[in-house]
Amino acid sequence: MSKDRETDLSRRRFMGVAAGGLLGVSALSALNLNAAPVQNQPKIDPDSFSTERTETDVLVIGGGMAGLFAAVKAHDAGARVLLVSKGRLGSSGLTPFAKGIFSYDPATADMSIDQFVAKVSESALDTNNPVFTRQLAEHSRARVEELRSWGFFDSALYNNSFMRPIEARNIPLQERVMITHLLKEQGRVVGASGFSMDENRIIHYRAKTVVLCTGSGGFKSSGFPLCDVTHDGTIMAYKIGAKVTGKEWNDGHPASAVNSGSCYDNWHGQVEEKPSITSVDVHHDLGVDMNYTAYVQGPSSEGMGPPGAGGPGADGGRPEGPPPMEQASGGPYVPEAFRRSGPPPMPPREEGLLAGLFGDKRPEGGPPGMQGPMVGGSTAGMAIHKSEGLVPVNETGLSTVPGLYAAGDALGSYMSGGIYTQIGSSLAGSAVQGAIAGEAAAKASQKQALVPLSSARLQAVEEEILAPLKRKRGYSPAWVTQVLQGVMIPNFVLYIKKERMMQAALAYVEELREHHVPMLLADDRHKLRLAHETENMIITAEMKMRASIMRKESRCSHYRLDYPEVDEENWRAWINIWQDENGQMQLEKQPFGSWPV
Amino acid sequence: MPIHEISGCIGCEACVKSCPTDVIQMDRERNKAYIAYPEDCQICHLCRLNCPVNAISITPEKSIPVMVSWR
Repeated sequence: MSKDRETDLSRRRFMGVAAGGLLGVSALSALNLNAAPVQNQPKIDPDSFSTERTETDVLVIGGGMAGLFAAVKAHDAGARVLLVSKGRLGSSGLTPFAKGIFSYDPATADMSIDQFVAKVSESALDTNNPVFTRQLAEHSRARVEELRSWGFFDSALYNNSFMRPIEARNIPLQERVMITHLLKEQGRVVGASGFSMDENRIIHYRAKTVVLCTGSGGFKSSGFPLCDVTHDGTIMAYKIGAKVTGKEWNDGHPASAVNSGSCYDNWHGQVEEKPSITSVDVHHDLGVDMNYTAYVQGPSSEGMGPPGAGGPGADGGRPEGPPPMEQASGGPYVPEAFRRSGPPPMPPREEGLLAGLFGDKRPEGGPPGMQGPMVGGSTAGMAIHKSEGLVPVNETGLSTVPGLYAAGDALGSYMSGGIYTQIGSSLAGSAVQGAIAGEAAAKASQKQALVPLSSARLQAVEEEILAPLKRKRGYSPAWVTQVLQGVMIPNFVLYIKKERMMQAALAYVEELREHHVPMLLADDRHKLRLAHETENMIITAEMKMRASIMRKESRCSHYRLDYPEVDEENWRAWINIWQDENGQMQLEKQPFGSWPV
Repeated sequence: MPIHEISGCIGCEACVKSCPTDVIQMDRERNKAYIAYPEDCQICHLCRLNCPVNAISITPEKSIPVMVSWR
């Protein structure tokens, strides 16, 4: 039996390391990158996978902030709900690390909601969708107060407070299940399929509606805790015809040059802090301005001014310590009202810190990665929060595929556009959008019958899920991921963009998609997960290059050295991406302020 | 090393469940957690913070070379 084979191997591996006195293994031997290629010898038997079918009204995929509220509100609207997550509820994706949550309180805010929306639009150069910006402000306080009632602000770890409303409602929860496929019949989404991380089991879910709360993703870049988010939801939706957007934008967080791969140290241990509330404070925090300075001047051993420190004409100086690199002249455009000299202000307690990812204690070392010399690309592959993901057709987060909703970072809502503007809005926006999508999905489910799943389709899905285990020869996901990182992450590809270099990178990525994705290997369930994640990252990389080549201007976090100016005449538009009936990736413009036709 | 050692494990599986990147597995025979995929550790410390007996030690170095945008 495969189970026994697996236990034997685990046991042997364990005994090998136990001899050394520790319950650990050598990193090198585990990675096995230097070993000679051998025929794939799975430690588990792919033919031993059982299949299970289950059904619900609303299937919520993803166990972060958006998924929590989608499940709770769909339940409260009268639907049968099932919540499934690749990791543990409140302990996977970016949610566990976000420590600031925005709450618009009309009693204390120094601007009206109208003024807030206008200010965000000014910072975002109109790349935001004001419907979602307003929605954030209008609903954030109610969601924050619900979280407070569940004990969210009482602990640095979110699982307990997230479990409280789920258990109170008896909402079924499946953790450590990776969803790989959305199922589509009769022109609408009718369910999803995936596999368990803990046993040899494939699960098919039949559902009337599906809410994707799968977050965004990156290229498993180091120094930011996004190695488990790989755009899974976006890519499975793309494969059933959903339009996706926002792939040209870049989150520009750097990392410390020392131990750049350690999220904990880069963030100065803030994962141990309890979350806190942020209030209105609209910024223009670019990130890519640091990439530009490093590109033009070269990295500095003395570090650089933090994001937003410059813009044309700003001096980028720091108040204390050795002089950092001067902000390079030129570079990304910063609206005049948002230019500032010096580092971004460290807001006082209760106002949170940069990017909404900080708690109520000002870290000694400043924002992530911003202490001393820095390296770039710790969030490579991720766009600005809420700017990438499924294209919404209305304010509920309904996608272009009937029955399929998205919320949080899986929804391309453009809540704040192609730039991060409001501290703490990412976590709040996920709560707000999750609640609205969950309720809308529940209501839509009332009018919808369960659609039978095609056995032939399910069989094909099972084959696709297990294929990396069944291949005898091919490529390890770890190696393919390293190649992808080497192609995409350099400053001169992903951040300081120019046509020729992006075309070159695109050629590499196409090669990976055409030739290497069909030969990804796995010898256990962990590697099976990596294989599917790797495919999702590669398709995302192709989207990022194609969208970045198409947008022949610079705006917000998309910067082109060959088109450095904002182009108001041609580019007051978002870019949507979809797969046509021949499997080809297509791109189109959608004017700012409009919905898909 | 990233996640470096699990010493004094009581087999509660909290670290296995709370690891976002599936680095830790259970040895069923011994009912103890072990570090199965250290190369995938993102050094976020959620496992350590979720461990009720403080059995997990972590160091800040990645076990594989890190690709960055510039250095």
